[in-house]
Formats: sequence, structure tokens, C-alpha cells
Amino acid sequence: MVQWYAETLVRYVLVAAAIVGVMLLTYRGLRRAGVRREPATGFALILPWFLGFLIWNLFPVVASLYLSLTDYNILQAPNFVGLANYQQLAEDERFWASLRLTMAYSAITVPLGLLLSLLAAVLLNQGVRGVGLWRTLYYLPAILPPFVTALLWRLMLLPTRSGLVNSATEPVWSLFGDTPPRWFLDPDTVLWGFVIMSFWGVFGANTVIMLAGLKNIPKDLYEAAEVDGAGLLSKFRHITVPQLTPTLFYVLILGIIAGIQIFDQGLFVRVPRENFLNVYLYQQGFNFFHMGYASAIAWVMFVIILVLTLAVFRSSTAWVYYEGEVKR
Amino acid sequence: MSTRFTRLAALAAALALAVTACGGSQSSSPPAGGTAAPSGAASQPAGEKVTFRITTWAGEGEAKELQELVLDKINASQSEYEIVHEAAPADYYTKIQTALAGGTGADFLWLSQEYVAGYASRGALLDLTDLLKTIAAPTAKVEGYFPDVMKTALYQDKVYGLPWISQPVVLYYNPALFDAAGIAYPDDTWDWAKFAETAKALTKDDQYGFSANGWPPIHMFMWQAGGETVSDDLSSSPIDSAEALQGAEFYKSLIFNSSCCPTEDVLLEQGFSEMFKAGKVAMFMGGASDTFETADGVALDIRAAVPPMGPKSRTTFAWTASTVVNAKVANPELAAKALVALTDGIHHWKIVSPLTELANADVITASFPEKWKAQKGQQVDAIIAATQDMRSFNVIPRQQEWDDLFWREFQDKLYHDQGTAADLAAAARPQLEALLP
Repeated sequence: MVQWYAETLVRYVLVAAAIVGVMLLTYRGLRRAGVRREPATGFALILPWFLGFLIWNLFPVVASLYLSLTDYNILQAPNFVGLANYQQLAEDERFWASLRLTMAYSAITVPLGLLLSLLAAVLLNQGVRGVGLWRTLYYLPAILPPFVTALLWRLMLLPTRSGLVNSATEPVWSLFGDTPPRWFLDPDTVLWGFVIMSFWGVFGANTVIMLAGLKNIPKDLYEAAEVDGAGLLSKFRHITVPQLTPTLFYVLILGIIAGIQIFDQGLFVRVPRENFLNVYLYQQGFNFFHMGYASAIAWVMFVIILVLTLAVFRSSTAWVYYEGEVKR
Repeated sequence: MSTRFTRLAALAAALALAVTACGGSQSSSPPAGGTAAPSGAASQPAGEKVTFRITTWAGEGEAKELQELVLDKINASQSEYEIVHEAAPADYYTKIQTALAGGTGADFLWLSQEYVAGYASRGALLDLTDLLKTIAAPTAKVEGYFPDVMKTALYQDKVYGLPWISQPVVLYYNPALFDAAGIAYPDDTWDWAKFAETAKALTKDDQYGFSANGWPPIHMFMWQAGGETVSDDLSSSPIDSAEALQGAEFYKSLIFNSSCCPTEDVLLEQGFSEMFKAGKVAMFMGGASDTFETADGVALDIRAAVPPMGPKSRTTFAWTASTVVNAKVANPELAAKALVALTDGIHHWKIVSPLTELANADVITASFPEKWKAQKGQQVDAIIAATQDMRSFNVIPRQQEWDDLFWREFQDKLYHDQGTAADLAAAARPQLEALLP
């Protein structure tokens, strides 16, 4: 074993030496091709990252596109099957059910999350005492790994008396002569269980980004508005929101991507019927050995995200305001 | 920078890459014998041990026991090879599949019964049929194993692994709860009716007679009624036969039924086996090696009986796992010898050994640490009796898909009153049969 570790260490050193050698060669080649010293140095220095991108990002992406056209089962070489996986997807009820759940989840949590994180950011932007502490507290949930959050909320949403949510809201339900929902045990309330779970992350990174956006709004805009007699709501509507649109745009794009790619929460919370699309993908790939089919699901998911992102980008000309931008 | 320097850099890079690339084929990941070293074991220098790697799902404590009770002994007694353990307790199957796909899979792997046929059918496992015939040890003799357990390591009549454990499900019970209710302990005269009646009699307030949540597997009751989930020749899934339905309906009469068992909500809140350990459930079906202790680590007075008799048999489910050999192992003959030694070691460590001659009270009692000897000593007769009726699934290559479908389209719906057993079985059967080989 000691020998094996020593050999591994030597191999690491040799790889590093090889990379340095290739960097030097790149530099020399560029210089010979007439590239100036500074850009040649720059290209040589980013070469390790670029190689990493090619090998660990681009290659797997292209490979997964190819695999989506095969019957790859992980343990054997893939066979080309053309568009069969995509045709099968069209007829796969579980795929559509998972897609519906995922899209419904995104459609609810993305705008809601945007609204709540904006609200939290506006509150944290007030000159209250101990604001640093409040900001830290609001950010704390974001540092928890998603699976911990999922397990925590699974307990919070237990349908019995030890489930904090039901325990706290039971009197309200009984007022209407009803009983609390069974959350993750009832197919009809699974989505809402996940939506509630998503609030946990609202006050994390999104709020911090929004807060940074709020800080960048020039104060003189508010002062000028006050001179003109603008009230709180008026200032929020006509200054804060427009000035914050680049940030909202950024958070919206990230929210759409994260919403559709949701995985950990679904994996760690057992639900009675269909789960999220990413969980279905994982199940097909790793549990059922249908990696080709799973790759096809991944590409469908990619296309959905791409289309939605492009739609948001196209719409941004109508609602995102950049300072210094001249609208024609 | 001179031309000379450029050439030197090129030479250094080329050499480094060449050496690095060659490293993999000579002695990749823990060396020799390993699967990623096609020439490793065969070209091992004289006098040097071949190293085989085994990946298991063993957690910290189990891995320590495996090392100390099995591997250290083998490695100390062997001059030809040594076995190195790599534990992967989390995401086990994802990890081993990825490693196999990447050509870095271990030489030996633990596979639960549901997986052997799938891996074998996809060419990932070494066919051991002929290799085992050349080894004299009893552990290498397929006929020495319980047939209904050994079948889980076969695929198309070829041997792809050696089972190292076969845990029959037994009926554990808490004698204190029986005594308090003045009810006689379970014994081998019990049938389904007596069992269900007693479970109800022991249910009161926050205490339940029995507990089920999908475990024990419904298959067991379908088998006991004379039904089958996948036929022996793997050609049908007759879950809608009258016998299979009788078993399913009996199970349905128990699961989540508050007159005898905790509801789903209560189980989620208080935990399945935790309720039994806490003295809130009187009878619990568990594997033969299960141990029961308080939160403080004190062994409980828990006894065992054979499962109640069904309409046709007392068949009990055997949780089974095998050690298999990577198809790309460099030295198959030596690997087979190492597998036999490894399996023999595990047979004296884990209970119940799937080897018929080792399924006895002495071996079972000796397998447990001192702390558990009293508890298991009281259970050993029931465990041995249960081994005579134990069986595993009839496993197909697409077992995981079959299990998932069987759960979603039959069991889950049945347990949640979304149809009768007959209707659900009739609807699920064609879908299940579409997955058969």
C-alpha cells in the first residue's frame, strides 16, 4: 500500500510537470506565431484551466449528448439507437409526471422566492440596530447542505403531533373543521411540502445579492424624489425596483436553473408518487442502468432551461434597466 | 527562451505524460492483481504477493470487524495474495458502478441478491463456474449452499458469486408485553389467524401487537399462501393468482391497521424498529442477525420464534448477499482461490452462513460478541428452524425496475387503499412481466 501511495504521489508530480511543460510550449508557440509577450503569457497561464474545462466540462457534455443517442447501461459499451430514447420519453408517463411536478415547483417557488428575498433584503437594508447580526442570521440557512435542510423539513412536516408545522397550525385547521395536511404522505400535498421547504433558502444567497443591489442604488435618486414629495411606496416602485432590475434579472435566471435542477430535496424525501425530474434521471441512470435514457432526460432538461433562460433574456429589454443604457 | 529550452520542455512534458499514462497499465490503483492492471497479477515478480481489492458497503464498525476477523487472518496465512478492503458505506452502488465503468472497479464486490443477475447479464462479473470446480474447499462447492439462497448468485445456470450471508426473517417478540397481557409466547404452532388475533389482543393505548411498513416483504406472505411473485423459470409474475392474492390481502389486513399495528403516521414519527426496541410493539419480524438494545446500549430481553404458518407453508424471506468477482480481474484462478478463502472467513463471522453445514447453533452463537450471546442464545433455535424454510427472490436482470414497479403499482396503492389486491395485481402484472427476461 505504501508503494501504491508513493507511486500515486509521483504520478501527481509528473502530471504537474507535464502541465508546466505544455504551458511553456504554448507560450513558445504563441511567441513564434508573433503573439506579443503579455497575451502569450496570459494564454499559457490559463491553459491548465482551459484543459480542465475541455476534459472535465466540455467533453462530458458532448459525451452525454452522444450517450443520449445510445442504449448505454454503464457496464457495457454503448450501442447507437438514434432518437429512440427521445421517442420513449414522449410516451413515458413517469417522465411527464416528474416534469409536471418540477415545472409546477419552479413556477411557484421562483417568483415567490424572488419576492420574499427582495422583501428580506429591503428590511435588512434599513438602518436598524445590529443589522450585521441580522444579516448573518438570515444568511445562516444558506450554509447548510441541501440534504440537511431536506431531512430537517421532512421532520418539520411530519403529519403527526411531532411535526412542528402541523402541530403549530392545527388550531387554525380545526377552526375550519379540517385536519392538517399529510404533506409528503399525500400525493396532493407533496408539491406544497417542497414549496414550503424552498423558503428556507430564500433568505440565503438571494437576499445577500439583493442587498448588494440595493446598496448600489444612488442615494441622490431618493433625495430628489423626496424633494418632489414622493412617499415610501412611490420611491420603492419608481426607484428601488427599476434600479434593482439587473439584480432581479440575475436572481431570476439562477432561480429558474436551480428550480428545474432541484435534486437533493427530492432524493432525501420519499414521496408517494412521482418525484422531481432530476431524481427520475438519477433513478434511470444509476438504479436502472439506463444511462443513455438518463442522458436524454438531461438534455431535455437542458433545452427547457435554455428556452426559459433565453425567453427571460429576450424579455429583459422590456423590464431590465441598466444605468447608462440608452433605450432606442 | 531558447530553442534548446523549448525542446527540453517538450521532452519533459512528453516523458511525464508517457510515464503517467503507462502507470495505469502497470499497477493502477492499489497495485497488481487489480482489475485496472491487466498484466498485474500475471506478471507479479516471484515472491511478491498479489494484491486484490474488495469494495464493500461496510460501515466503520463492520469494516473493522471484517479487517480484524477475516482479512487479517487470510493475509497472514497467505503467501500468494493479500486482500485490501475499501469501504464505501454511502452511495455504494453508484460508486461501484461508476468505478466499473471507469475501469477502476475493485476485484471483489459485495452485491445484494437483487443485483447479481443484473451485473452478470451486463458482463461485469467473472463466470466462476469452472474455476470453483478446481477448488476442494467446501465453500467452493455450490451444492453445499442452501439451494434457494445459492440461486441468487447464479445467472443462466452459471455461478457469478458466492453468497456470504442468508438472514432468514424470524418473529421477534418482547416477552414482557406478552406476560403483562397474560398471552402465551409465539411458537411453531402459530398460523396466520393466531398471529393476527394475538397482534390485536396486544394492541392497546400506545402499544401495538405487530408492525409492518413494507417490511417484512409482502412476497413472503404471498409465498406462504402458495403464490409467487416471479416464477422459478423467470417467465411470469403471477401476482394475481388466487394464492398470491390471499397472501397480499393478509398483509394488507395488518399494515398500517391501527387495530393491530402502528399507522404510517405513527411509524414515521416514532420509527419502525425503534418502536419495538422501546417496548411499544410486541412482535417484530426481522433478520436473523438483528440485535436489540436500549438507547443506553443495554441488550434487551427479546426472543424469537419461527414466522407463523401460512396456508401452504412457513416460507420465510432470506436477505442474501454475495461476493462477486470483477470480470476484468487479472488473475482469475488466484482470484477464485482468494474469493473462497474470503467467503469462508465471512461465513464464520456473519450469520446465518448460507452453507448448510455451518448453519448451526455453535457457529451462530460463536459469531456474536459477548454482549449479544445471551440474547442470541435464546433466539438461536428459532433462527436455525427458520433457515429450513428460507428463500430469496427469483431475481431477474432488471430486478431494480421490477421492484420499483411492484412497489409503485401494487404495494403502495394497496397499502393506501387505492384499489383491491385483485384489481391492482391484474393491472400491474403485464407491466411487471414486460420487465422479465
